[in-house]
Formats: sequence, C-alpha cells, structure tokens
Amino acid sequence: MDTSLPARSRIRAPRRPGVWRQGWRRLRRNRTGMLGLTLVALVVLVAVFCPLLAPYNPDDQSAMMSFGASAPPAWSHIMGTDRLGYDIASRIVYGAPTALTVGVGAMLIASLIGVTIGGISGYAGGLADELLMRFTEFFLVIPVFLVILSVVRLFGIIVVGTWLESVPHLNLGTIIVLLGVFGWPPIARLTRAEFLRLRQLEFVEAARCIGARRRDILLRHILPNALPSIIVVVALGVGAAILSEAMISFLGFGDPNAVSWGQLLYFNYETLKVAPWASLAPGAAIFITVLGFNLLADGLSDAFNPRLRQ
Amino acid sequence: MGILRFILRRLMFAVVLIVGVSAIIFFLVNAIGNPVAMLAASQPNATEDSVAELTRYYHLDQPAWLRYLLWLWNLARLDFGSSITYNQPVAQMLAIWGFETLKIQIPAILLALGLAILIATIASRRQGSRLDFGVMSTALLGQSLPAFLMGVLLILVFAYWLGIFPSYGAYSTRTLLLHSSLADGLWHMVLPVAMLTFFNTATLTLLLRANMVEVLRHDYIMAARASGLPERRIIFGHALRNAIIPVLTYLGILFGLMLATAPVTETVFTWPGLGFLYINAIQQLDYPVIMGESVVIAAMLVLATLATDIAYVLIDPRIRLD
Repeated sequence: MDTSLPARSRIRAPRRPGVWRQGWRRLRRNRTGMLGLTLVALVVLVAVFCPLLAPYNPDDQSAMMSFGASAPPAWSHIMGTDRLGYDIASRIVYGAPTALTVGVGAMLIASLIGVTIGGISGYAGGLADELLMRFTEFFLVIPVFLVILSVVRLFGIIVVGTWLESVPHLNLGTIIVLLGVFGWPPIARLTRAEFLRLRQLEFVEAARCIGARRRDILLRHILPNALPSIIVVVALGVGAAILSEAMISFLGFGDPNAVSWGQLLYFNYETLKVAPWASLAPGAAIFITVLGFNLLADGLSDAFNPRLRQ
Repeated sequence: MGILRFILRRLMFAVVLIVGVSAIIFFLVNAIGNPVAMLAASQPNATEDSVAELTRYYHLDQPAWLRYLLWLWNLARLDFGSSITYNQPVAQMLAIWGFETLKIQIPAILLALGLAILIATIASRRQGSRLDFGVMSTALLGQSLPAFLMGVLLILVFAYWLGIFPSYGAYSTRTLLLHSSLADGLWHMVLPVAMLTFFNTATLTLLLRANMVEVLRHDYIMAARASGLPERRIIFGHALRNAIIPVLTYLGILFGLMLATAPVTETVFTWPGLGFLYINAIQQLDYPVIMGESVVIAAMLVLATLATDIAYVLIDPRIRLD
C-alpha cells in the first residue's frame, strides 16, 4: 500500500487556475477594467457606509433657516445646498444605495428571465427556440423607455386608495420590476448563443455519455461555463438600469420618498442658472457610476474572452 | 429569399409589434379610469351635458375591448383620433411635433457619422499612438456620459455662462409672434444637435475604429499595398468600405435609442418635440396622444431596422436574407 500515494500523484493532472482565477489575473493587468472596478467599488463603499459618510440626515432641511437654500459649497455644506434646503453631499451619498438597489435588483430579475429563456432556447432548439427567439425579438423592438414611463405614471394613479399605497417605496419597486421585466432580451440572446456553442463541446458529450441527468448537464456543466460571458452583459445592464432610473426620476416620474440622483436633478434643474452645483453633483454621480460599470464590463469581456481582442 | 418577400415579412412583424404595443398601453390607460371624468373634475364649470357628450364622443360608454378594436380599425385607416387636451387631430400633432424631433435627430446622426469616419480613420492609421489613445479614451468616456447630462453641461456653459446660445425652445418668442426666421431656428438647434452628436460620435467612433483595426489586418489590404496603390485609396476604397458595414447597421439601433430617450433630451432643452409631447400627454392622461405616439415611434423603430437591413444587403453582397 506504500506505492499508492506516489502513483496517484503521478497521474494527477497539473493544477491549472480555473476560468475565474485566470480572468481575475487578466483583469488585474487591464487598466480600463481596473479603473472601472475601482469606481464601482467606490460607489459600493459609499452605499454601504452612507450613514457614516453623510454629514447630515438626507431629510434635514434645516439649512433653509440659517445657511440658506441654493447656497454655494462651503465648509459646512461641502457641495452646497439645493433649493429645498437639503445638504447636497448627504443626498448624493444616500443616493448611492438607491442606485445600486435599482441596478442590481433590475438585473437580478432580468438575468433570471433571460438565462431561463435563453438557456431553454439554446439547449432545446427546434420550434421552442424559434418561438422564444421571436418573443425576444418582439421585446427588443418595443420602445421600452416610453412604455416604462407610461406604466409608472399609470400605476401610480391606480394604486391610490388601495392597500398597495401603504407599501414603502412602491414606486421605486415598480421601476425596478419594470426595468427587469423589459431588460432581459440581451441576456437571453447571449445565453442562447453560449448554450448553443457549449452543448456540442466534448465535455458536455462526456457528461451525457456517463449518464448525467439533463438537469445536471444544464445547471452544472453548461451554465457555469456560460456565466463569464453572461456576467459581462449583466455588468453593462446594471449601469444601463441605473441610468434609466435616473432618467425616469429626472422626468419627475421617480419615487418621491426615495433619495435618488435623478430626483435631485429633477428638483434642481430649474435653478441650474443660480445654483449649478445642485445639478452638477448628481450628474457627476450618475456619470461616475455608469462609467464604472461600463469600464468594468469592458475589462471583464477582455479578461474572459482574451482571444476576441489581441 | 427575394428582397420583396423579406420586406413583406418584416412589415408583417411590424404590424404584430404595433398591435402588441398598442394593446399593452391601451389596456393600461383603460385600467386607470375615465379620462373625461378626470378632465371634468378639473373644470368646475363643465356641465353634465358636455361631459355626457364627450363621453359619447370618445365612446367611453362602450366596453374596453370594443373601443380597442375601434381604435385599431381607425388606425388602419390612418385615423389616430383627436387629442383630449389639445383639441386637435393626433395625426396633425404627430406631424408637427415629430418634425421638431427629427430636425435635431437626423442632423445629429449624419454629423456623427461623418465625424466618426474622420476620427476613426485617423486613429486606426496611427494605432497605439498617443493620438489614438487620446481619441479612444475620450470616446469611451463620451459613451458613458448620458446625452442629457451633456445637455445640462452645454446649457450651463454656452447658454448661461457665455450667453451665446439660447437655453430652451426651438424658436424665440419674437420669431413665433412676428415672422418666421430660418436663422433663429438654426441658432436654437445648435446646442441640442451638439448634445446628441457628441454621444453618437463617441459610440460610432469606437465601433468603426475596432472594425478598421480588424479589416486593416486582412491579406487583401496587404495585397493592395503590395500592388502599390496609394494609401488613400487603400483606406477609403478598400478598408473603410468593409469596416463601415456593421456601423451602418448600428445606425438604426442608435436612431431608435435616440427616439426612445427623446423625452429626456427634449425636457433638458424644453424642445417642442415628440418626447416633450409624450411627457405632457402622460401627465394629462391624453390617451389618444399616448397611443398614437407609441405606435408611431414603434413603427419608426421597425422601419429604421428594416432600412438598415436592406442597406446591409445592398452594400455587402455576401449577406443573404433569411
């Protein structure tokens, strides 16, 4: 029994880093990707520590009395105050968790729908594939932003007087669900392409040969290998969802009870001439967040598919 | 498949799409309740007779599905109905406000295409140079800067601080009241067009440069060089012609994106276009306008993609329709 150990170690394949570790190594060498990761990390940190970072309560309008509304940046209010007497720096900080909730929440819903539809479509093929892809195409050409605007507005009227009205942040929840429900087509298309590619590779055939169940083939063999590509689209989608929420709020269709960057722009855009800081600060916050997710997605796509760009 | 059959199939898809989108919005608006009752509630001196008359005029005493079918039937005859708040035929309103929207969208797309060709050709010929890096970084940043934020910046700098361009509207009041003036209209277009052009240029440049770099690596470029063709003819005659095809197909998507986000970009400039009209209509629950506009925009989206698909086939003989 003495010989079993060395014998086993001899046949063991050399350990090679997995796709995730390889991807991380390539991402670390990618300058744009790391810049994106830094920006995203910054937003996440601000969101997590917002009660510690914000100098004032986001609902504190006391500056109205002493410091003045629409006052320029000063030591006591580093980004100035807006026309309602809110401290802008505090509203910006408290806007970060809102933005991330919207982005991540919407993309969770979108990935769930997209991966399911794309996965079934790619693996099953045939008529199911044809029907599902027509369905996806239909969703791709709907003027989503316009539909979301009307639904948000109309839903806001329907709920008046019903029990739904007492749900906290109902409006924001509606926006998240809508962005998710309308945001899945790109994820579905990519998932389908990945499943189509992967299902004819040798390792899937091998799994089928040893009698793996279909569910296991789909969830344990194909899906993990499709994930790196899916994550790139999801990262892009998070940025896009945050931007959409900002635009919806900018038009005045946002959640009046939530602190969001778009809302801040909506309230202060009228006073752009006298108090530009009140519009520039939320604008910069939106830009930094969207840029972060876009650059991160760019870096991830290079890291996971190094052959695409040489 | 023949090109005519292809177009026919896509047009049928467009019809399905329009019916689908309009049904979603119609039944949503319907769930809210009666727009005439809402209008009457805001008008204290509305008589019961006039309310009853309006209700009959908009067929609000009929079941919803019947009204939807009626609406579809009218749409098939290109009758969009008339607006509840503006007291004008919706078709006429769409034409007037739509013209203002296209007036800034189309120049912005064409300008961006020209600029992108210029910038991407120069950048791809000097790959890896400092110029290339600078151009690409700016384009990457520009792509992440939402158009409406760019608009806010432009207004702040060029309208408020420098006072060169107007900050809102398509015409000044003077023009509207006294005489029409082409110069005044053009002057008002500068900032909105600049805003849209900036975003479009960033996106198109990134795409075109990536394609140029790819194409320039091909053997036929080397063959052209070896045959002693002048560099200009290699770039414009051979490389650009191949690299621009995916960019052209992207134009349709970009146009759709610009149209869909028109409510935001037009709100920034208080621009009297379709987006601005849409926001007003939603606020007032003016459902003939909401529906008419959704349908027109959905149709424009489908037609834009169809046009790019056809252009694709005409430019690149390798592509087959399926």
